[in-house]
Amino acid sequence: MERKAEIAHRCLLLDKSEIARGWHLFELEAPLLACAEPGQFVHLRTGCSSDPLLRRPISIHYADAAAGRIRLLVQVSGRGTALLARSSPGEELDLLGPFGRGFPFLDEAAPALFVAGGIGMAPLFFAAAQRQRAGLPFEFILGGRSSAFLPPEEYFLDHGFAPLTATEDGSRGLRGLATALLEKRLAEANRPGRIHACGPMPMLTRVVELARAAGVPLHLSLESRMACGVGACLGCAVPVKVQGNIEYRRVCRDGPVFDGEAVCIGN
Amino acid sequence: METDPRLALDLAGIKMRNPLIAASGCYGFGFDYLPWVDPRDWGAIALKGMTLKPRAGNPPPRLAETPSGLLNAIGLQNPGIDYFLEAIRPRLGELGCPVIANIAGESVEEYRELAAILDRVAEVSAVEINISCPNVRRGGISFGQDPATVEKLVGAVRRVYRGPLIVKLSLEAGDIAAVARAAESGGADILSLINTLKGMVIDVHSRRPLLGNITGGLSGPAIRPVAVRAVWEVAGAVSLPLIGMGGIASAEDALQFILAGAAAVAVGTANFVHPHVAREICRGLQRYLDEQGMGHYSELIGAARG
Repeated sequence: MERKAEIAHRCLLLDKSEIARGWHLFELEAPLLACAEPGQFVHLRTGCSSDPLLRRPISIHYADAAAGRIRLLVQVSGRGTALLARSSPGEELDLLGPFGRGFPFLDEAAPALFVAGGIGMAPLFFAAAQRQRAGLPFEFILGGRSSAFLPPEEYFLDHGFAPLTATEDGSRGLRGLATALLEKRLAEANRPGRIHACGPMPMLTRVVELARAAGVPLHLSLESRMACGVGACLGCAVPVKVQGNIEYRRVCRDGPVFDGEAVCIGN
Repeated sequence: METDPRLALDLAGIKMRNPLIAASGCYGFGFDYLPWVDPRDWGAIALKGMTLKPRAGNPPPRLAETPSGLLNAIGLQNPGIDYFLEAIRPRLGELGCPVIANIAGESVEEYRELAAILDRVAEVSAVEINISCPNVRRGGISFGQDPATVEKLVGAVRRVYRGPLIVKLSLEAGDIAAVARAAESGGADILSLINTLKGMVIDVHSRRPLLGNITGGLSGPAIRPVAVRAVWEVAGAVSLPLIGMGGIASAEDALQFILAGAAAVAVGTANFVHPHVAREICRGLQRYLDEQGMGHYSELIGAARG
């Protein structure tokens, strides 16, 4: 029996830089992963011992199919990601993937609105860059604690777009939350055709409320603790509504992008 | 990979290409790794635990990583036996390796009913009775602690299931050897051990248990020495073939269980880190046999017992 695809990849780390406080940008030579779609993730080993034991799911931040390269944006949030942040160019990283179902309808003509909270911008950036290249309209709302905890504005301008930004301390853009920008935007007459959001749970809860009130279709990219990454272990379950009942779906296989109306967040 | 006759076995009627089994709960119904991993790398695949009725499973979070270990509280999420018969059974042939159905019930009657149904399912090569799941309130582990209850349960299943019958044991039982003997008296053909060990993690920031279910089952390399000891002890107490498991990730790990007395080994958590782990372990076993100049791995079963 021929296997259809590779699952395990040893990828050369070409470049690594800290583009915001605690955010490490990895550029990897990964020809077989460069065909990944926005919203998909790779499952990354953080060391070579049994501790930490599990891989870490990391969204693909950008993929350049022609160059055979991918970028990952890793925020240090625990022991695994701290170990990853210590790796150096020239090393090989151990990746599985690409896994998961990405953002739908990225090629539709109606304007898209991306709403990113903190490191949640990682997969949305890839989706936005794809629409930018295709010449399709979109807007990008970005929220963060403070300017230092977000990539510099040039990082986005290099890819041809400027996000509408809100920071909690007002050090960049509006003082406040990304959802305040979203609320203001949805009050305007010309509503977006679709919203894609990724960020912390309180933000997503508010995005669900606002999108529902405005009647705009919403897609959420969710995070979860994960073990297998392929749907076998059922560890990364999230509750969704199915015909009035609650059932669990797998973030790794059924997501990580879910229909904002179906997934049970703050309701 | 090529079948190596030095690794093939007949495990109480389960005809296996090699002594490696994908552990129940870690391999879904066998299809999740299918695009990437050849199921024939395995000697057999144990399916996710099944119940009569569908089970939604436990609320998240369901996972917590611990030092060299994984704590899980899935809660036997499964679509129920009817869905299995209708939607999964017709596809099992695609796997090309023997399939072990793992069953869990809340009463002796439920176990009996499941086993009676599976007795008529030719695609299933063996049944594994789960009396050791730590993550469900009723059934599971509550059946696995008292030898008399175990003997009664295994006996009830034995009367309706004619194929190879595996009983999966827990170390939560005070005396695992006594439970093993009870399973043997009840009519088990094979014993598998160990299931996960019950544990918990507390989130010091929220000051609450981390898992939605409060407690979970610990697996991974952290439990390996405990599991090897359990196999050693049970191998000395019964004459049934054993499936050893608990933190196996390499050929050397597998060999420890075999040398302690296991005829076969199951690999669970390691799949999450190394999806090609079965193939790698088989190659490692082949190398070991080459180095030792041995004709068949079975010469190693229990060899550490002197």
